[in-house]
Amino acid sequence: MYLKTLHLRQFRNYREQQIAFSAPKTILLGDNAQGKSNLLEAVELLATLRSHRALRDRELVLEGEPIGQITATLERETGTVDLAVLLRSNGRRTVSLNGETLRRQLDFLGVMNAVQFSSLDLDLVRGGPGERRSWLDTLLIQLEPVYAYILQQYNTVLRQRNALLKQRRRSEEVGETPPDLEQLAIWDAQLAAIGSRVIRRRARVLDRLAPLAQTWHQAISSSTEQLEICYAPNVQLEQDDPSVVQQTFLDKLAQRSIAEQHQGTTLVGPHRDEVEFTINQTPARQYGSQGQQRTLVLALKLAELKLIESVVGEPPLLLLDDVLAELDLNRQNKLLETIQDRFQTLITTTHLGSFDAQWLKSSQILTVRSGHIEE
Amino acid sequence: MIEQLQRLPGVGPKTAQRLALHILKRSESEVQALAQAILEAKQQVGLCSVCFHLSAEPVCEICRSPNRDSHTICVVADSRDVIALEKTREYRGKYHVLGGLISPMDGIGPDQLNIGQLVRRVSKQDTKEVILAISPSVEGETTTLYIGQLVKPFTKVTRIAFGLPMGGDLEYADEVTLARALEGRRELD
Ligand SMILES: Nc1ncnc2c1ncn2[C@@H]1O[C@H](COP(=O)(O)OP(=O)(O)O)[C@@H](O)[C@H]1O
Ligand SMILES: [Mg+2]
Ligand SMILES: [Zn+2]
Repeated sequence: MYLKTLHLRQFRNYREQQIAFSAPKTILLGDNAQGKSNLLEAVELLATLRSHRALRDRELVLEGEPIGQITATLERETGTVDLAVLLRSNGRRTVSLNGETLRRQLDFLGVMNAVQFSSLDLDLVRGGPGERRSWLDTLLIQLEPVYAYILQQYNTVLRQRNALLKQRRRSEEVGETPPDLEQLAIWDAQLAAIGSRVIRRRARVLDRLAPLAQTWHQAISSSTEQLEICYAPNVQLEQDDPSVVQQTFLDKLAQRSIAEQHQGTTLVGPHRDEVEFTINQTPARQYGSQGQQRTLVLALKLAELKLIESVVGEPPLLLLDDVLAELDLNRQNKLLETIQDRFQTLITTTHLGSFDAQWLKSSQILTVRSGHIEE
Repeated sequence: MIEQLQRLPGVGPKTAQRLALHILKRSESEVQALAQAILEAKQQVGLCSVCFHLSAEPVCEICRSPNRDSHTICVVADSRDVIALEKTREYRGKYHVLGGLISPMDGIGPDQLNIGQLVRRVSKQDTKEVILAISPSVEGETTTLYIGQLVKPFTKVTRIAFGLPMGGDLEYADEVTLARALEGRRELD
């Protein structure tokens, strides 16, 4: 797929900016805090309706304005698609395809695919389990848009159940009879039913991603290092059978019910999942130097690219936020060999110095200066 | 005034401003009539003591009607849903309005809803079927399952098979969809 144009209106520090992409690789060159990452963020939003750095839409809209808008023209093998996301600093988003407003945001997902790779992604290895769950979820949403709906349902059930557990704890503290157990049992059943769908999907995507990442990892590290990716779900997944997983889930809830009652929060479920990366049987977190951790993240990102390509049937976009310059020449070349001209790539950087002259020539270079872009 | 109007559902700051300007441009008598109408409606319209649908009388028109099948009760979250279902002209039974959905986050449990009244109604009178017509959201699902358990000992319980979009409201379904959903209802397991 190929992003032809992008139009930002009152988005982050862009008041009004039209961008036409004219080469498979575009380099966004500029000093810090000029709007390079903001532009990639706009593309990320079109692909996933999520931003890895904004919690609220208010942050995405140009300060002082009520609305912001991202529109784009995307070329796919099946034809050209116009995408638009309207953001409100006070209210819900509106998304539309080819000028038609969609009632379900779900239908917007999966039209455009992108893999984001920024220096922050080192947190995938070094950060807490939440970083890895969020990474996995973003990938799943692109492979299987309905997952966005499942995840949202799961989070709602989780919040409702936590609220009920807190109420029960509060009533107990003041010596009242807590709200009925029948209601809790229903929330348990819903948590288990929807939670199992989350667990099974996470397991499935890791099954497919792990061998790809392993191969890449070996190629980049050009050594005998063996990468293992292991899904460690909070509720064990012995068999990929919905009713078995649900039963295991319910059993574990029963087991932990006293602790949950005591803490007033849900202790069982995929919101406590972990993904473990090990290199030669040592946890990557402890094992790696920064260079090795970077190799691991690069292998994961390349695996994501390939997985999305094989599932979706078209190469996704690649967004490289400040990372290319951080890679040594060997890793840079591995990455560039892989993407060639097949994956449209947007690259941000503060300097052109560390890039190979050959492919600089074939790239489109755009200069970013305080919310303005010049050819 | 703008602040007050903005509290109304579906009214944002812009609409509130437009409404306020419109009201200010009318003659005083017109504004008086509007204010009077709002107040009167509020004072006169209460809830039906049987089904909790909006009603100017103690018992609503639907509950009083001898032409409607009193052996079937359709349970909905809100009076809006009654109005939506009435538009289909497919349903000839009675209703029961819960007044919301179970939602611990909002402090709404079964006791805050008209669920006890429903159970009493079903257990006392001869009810052949209870139809649960509640949106398929997470809260709707919990409410459906909760009520199902309570009334199943007394009667057959079915639920509307929503062909509705995810996260869709009963209110937004068109009449054809609703009529079809009513026809395709299935027994709660
Ligand atoms: N909602 C917003 N309105 C106006 N400016 C914003 C908004 N959000 C971020 N900015 C500005 O954008 C700049 C950061 O842009 P960014 O793309 O992260 O920089 P970089 O070019 O270093 O990647 C900062 O100057 C910040 O003040
Ligand atoms: Mg940046
Ligand atoms: Zn009534």
